[in-house]
Amino acid sequence: MVNLTIDGKAVKAEEGTYILQVARANNIDIPTLCYHPALEPFGACRLCTVEITSRGRKRLVTSCNYPVEEGLEVSTNSEAVIKGRRMILELLLARCPNVPLIQELAKSYGVEKPRFKMENDNCILCGLCARICEERIGVSAISFSGRGLERKIDTPFHIHSEICQGCGACVFVCPTGAIKLEDITDKQPRPILSEFDAGLGSRAAIYVPFPQAVPKVPVIDRDVCIHFLTGNCRICENSCQAGAINYDQEDEIIETEVDAIILASGFDLYDPSRVEEYGYGKVKNVITAMQYERMISASGPTEGRLERPSDGKTPMKLAFIQCVGSRDIHHKLYCSSVCCMHATKEAMLANEHYPDLKAFIFYTDMRAVGKRFQEYIARAEQEYKVTYIRSRPSKITENPDNGRNPIVWYEETTTRTRTSMEVDMVVLCQALIPSGSAKGISDMLHLSLNDYQFINIPDRLFHPVDTEIPGIFACGFCQAPQDIPDSVVQASAAASRAAEFMSKEE
Amino acid sequence: MPRINSPAELEELRKGILSNRDPNRPCITLCSGTACHASGSEEVAASIEEEIKKQGLSAEVDFRKTGCHGFCERGPIVVIHPEGICYLQIEPKDIPEIISQTIKEKKVIERLLYTDPTTNKKIVHESEIPFYKNQERLVFGSNGKIDPKSIDDYLALGGYSALAKVLSQMPPEQVLEEVKKSNLRGRGGGGFPTGRKWEECRNAPGEIRYVIVNADEGDPGAYMDRSLLEGNPHSVLEGLIIGAYAIGSHEGYIYVRQEYPFAVENVDIAIKQAEEYGLLGKNILGSGFDFTVKVHRGAGAFVSGESSALMTALEGRVGEPRPKYIHTVIKGVWDKPSNLNNVETWATVPLIINKGADWFRGIGTEGSKGTKIFSLVGKVNNTGLVEVPMGMTLREIIFNIGGGIRDGKKFKAVQTGGPSGGVIPEKYIDLPIDFDELTKAGSMMGSGGMIVMDEDTCMVDTARYFLNFLAHESCGKCVPCREGIKQMLNILTDITEGRGEKGDIELLEEVAAMVKDFSLCALGATAPNPVLSTLQYFRDEYVAHIEQKRCPAHVCKPLISYYIDPEKCQACMICLRQCPVGAISGGKNQIHVIDQAKCTKCNTCFEVCPPRFSAVRRLSGEPVPPPVKDRVLVRRKG
Repeated sequence: MVNLTIDGKAVKAEEGTYILQVARANNIDIPTLCYHPALEPFGACRLCTVEITSRGRKRLVTSCNYPVEEGLEVSTNSEAVIKGRRMILELLLARCPNVPLIQELAKSYGVEKPRFKMENDNCILCGLCARICEERIGVSAISFSGRGLERKIDTPFHIHSEICQGCGACVFVCPTGAIKLEDITDKQPRPILSEFDAGLGSRAAIYVPFPQAVPKVPVIDRDVCIHFLTGNCRICENSCQAGAINYDQEDEIIETEVDAIILASGFDLYDPSRVEEYGYGKVKNVITAMQYERMISASGPTEGRLERPSDGKTPMKLAFIQCVGSRDIHHKLYCSSVCCMHATKEAMLANEHYPDLKAFIFYTDMRAVGKRFQEYIARAEQEYKVTYIRSRPSKITENPDNGRNPIVWYEETTTRTRTSMEVDMVVLCQALIPSGSAKGISDMLHLSLNDYQFINIPDRLFHPVDTEIPGIFACGFCQAPQDIPDSVVQASAAASRAAEFMSKEE
Repeated sequence: MPRINSPAELEELRKGILSNRDPNRPCITLCSGTACHASGSEEVAASIEEEIKKQGLSAEVDFRKTGCHGFCERGPIVVIHPEGICYLQIEPKDIPEIISQTIKEKKVIERLLYTDPTTNKKIVHESEIPFYKNQERLVFGSNGKIDPKSIDDYLALGGYSALAKVLSQMPPEQVLEEVKKSNLRGRGGGGFPTGRKWEECRNAPGEIRYVIVNADEGDPGAYMDRSLLEGNPHSVLEGLIIGAYAIGSHEGYIYVRQEYPFAVENVDIAIKQAEEYGLLGKNILGSGFDFTVKVHRGAGAFVSGESSALMTALEGRVGEPRPKYIHTVIKGVWDKPSNLNNVETWATVPLIINKGADWFRGIGTEGSKGTKIFSLVGKVNNTGLVEVPMGMTLREIIFNIGGGIRDGKKFKAVQTGGPSGGVIPEKYIDLPIDFDELTKAGSMMGSGGMIVMDEDTCMVDTARYFLNFLAHESCGKCVPCREGIKQMLNILTDITEGRGEKGDIELLEEVAAMVKDFSLCALGATAPNPVLSTLQYFRDEYVAHIEQKRCPAHVCKPLISYYIDPEKCQACMICLRQCPVGAISGGKNQIHVIDQAKCTKCNTCFEVCPPRFSAVRRLSGEPVPPPVKDRVLVRRKG
């Protein structure tokens, strides 16, 4: 350890560290523009210059790359330092008068109007982009080119880079927003779609899967993380102050002996693009109910605003299509049991958000099975102006004009006429299917599945949660379509059955 | 080629070479340095070879193409040995006469000799020409005697004897001590004591050490390193090997500009020859010391001459300086201890070894020992490379060696130290030149550029010129240097174009102070020097430009106008005919008038107006008088 003083404050520091690191660790602020904890110090912006007294000699040095030494005295804001920084900022503001970061920094040093010839650049040539590309990504798709007045950030030969992998680290690290990926590569960066937001938003390669995740810690998506793909990057490691990043963690298989097993593997959503006539994935403004849920959620990607995919406009005429894949001889024969109610809720919510919005629900049969469910439907019709149309639409097409409005083609069953309705957006209430993991578990436990891939319950009447094997119980959607209250009831039942079973064993 | 295995064998070889050479045999040497090459020495060489053959003298006369002699103003230079007869500005047509008269008949051709401008006497011998007479050519002197492509020529003059001496008689520590004792300071610009640098590098932790020759000379108008490397590459190599031995390095680099093709060629040949003779490679002269050297060609960036930038470039990266808080002698190329010295510094080392540190200390001033090669250019009569002992005054260099100012003009200032040096005004003409005095005067030694300026030089424009160079040659890495120089250049451009404002001088000083203290490398730290030193000595010129919109030297075009004095104009039609844009009206018997709107200020009329009339005047800071109305008829005076 080395002893030094910064602005009169005695501090200890590890040998080999730089003044800036030590100052920051001691909550002493030194301005910089070209420093990044994940990169080697560069010493180009010179803003972090401090005045040191070393072996009796006063000197101006850049704190980002001056190694600490025993007895060093550092002044981060001496008169000479402040004066120099002010001039540097005045020069930078003349170069980049419209960059907010520079404006703010200059202002904090009392510089608002430079006395120099003004330019209009966005790039301060801090080199963070080129350095991160070289040092961390290991690609060097961009670098400095030219020198002196001609210096700029560029790709070799000023043409689109072939080696750029479009990771966007340069854009991410640029403090002034000067880097545009389209200038560097003709590759379109593909966002990592957020599973939780049903693909409407994107997420980073390191992320918390969803707000209620247990345990609530970030995970690294190894399939897209640059480090796991190329061995480079490791920027998160430098950014995490807690030092929590661990690239070596592996999935672990823990073997435990148990007395009873309760299966509760839940459901997945049926892929609506397989119901080809509804055009999901082709007709731009056809979305799924799950996407709609994320959109209307205040914590979702649009913060509760309905924005249709084609142009971001708020749809004022909304169609919900029921039984997309359910009760369909080509897909799933069973009724998914919850869609009538969630579509009704969603239509009501839309109207609550936008009182002028009109919602139409195209249904096969109204299955409002449950206490006061029918009254809920009635309220939707009366108070929220939801229109129920008894029909299974035959197809959905797109009006190429009119902002790509979807057109719902259907038979008005009450009058037996074929007709169509142009709406702003369509929500598909797709079928629910047993979760993909149910199959694996059933194989592992030698349990059989029924025709619809649900866990087989031999005696549904008297033992509604008992599987074929004693001591193994199943509850919730993995054994049959049901809503949340029913699943909770079954869960309690399964717990009781398991307790009963284990006490008998003893 | 026989490999030389010991100092004794080297001595034997040298004796062998000398015994084959008759000192009385006629030898024609022709300067083939870059400057003479540009003046046509290649054609001269061809005609010498042809003429020797033609006159049947091939067996009796030697011909040698040497490196730069230094007197580039008067090239191509031919010296006839053993007499030392020196002919200047030789063309191929002079050759038959030289061969038949001087070689055969031993007659001196008067018209090809140097004429002393003061006494008007013809001077026969090179050594008597004032340009040479007043120099002390220790390092540069051999250039004119040897063919740089011939290691035998170098050996004949005692070459590699210093290397033989250190390898056989001196342990590395003793070499270090000798160099330290000599007080040799780096010739590249900084003037850091060479011995101390070597010692720090030797003591730096690590197994691998590098030694580097900095031949990335980039100052406009400076070419001493070029000429030395071109003309006497072995002297640089010998110094480098000695240094490597003292430092404990086994690998060296010569970083030379790609734009110096002769230097690259000659040093490549020299390395090959030295390798064949066993003066490079494994077990040099049987001493057990190994050393190899590679040539790295630089891509022409001025900033790559800065040591850390050069090392970055050597690593194959863009030549940009890096912080030197940890010195390059400890962490240089590839983070290994690296000792970099300038061409001239390395070439001085063999002399110190051969003649001793005490001898070397006897030359020069208290703080700066030895000699220094300057590139004397600008408005001086004898431009060229001059080597003088440290401490010689500017007056001696400019007037005794340089032959004074051209066209009888008045000396105004001299710019030393390259673009980031400073100007020294006339009042310091008796300043003894050494590292410390130049720094005290607000300039620096730099690598030894010396640009002489006469009274027709505008100092604001000079500052602008150098800043323009630096703005383009700054690497652009750090903000103070890149943005600071650019904005100072903007201000200077405004001043020279008549847009100067009150407060500009103060703003220049403010920026300069910051650039000096906050820049990353020495290039940035010294970049404000042209501004600061011209402000220090010629502040009134700045004030005249800004306040009166007047350029006292009549250089800044936007601030001057050309005017024909109607009292003096004799309507001779010369300027009228010569004006490239037809801006002059008039005719026979009609006083000429310049149309100010058309005039491009090309200076032609001023130059062509017969001196006996001197009717064309340059005005600055004052309005151009309206053309005379009625007096369009010429008044002929007797």
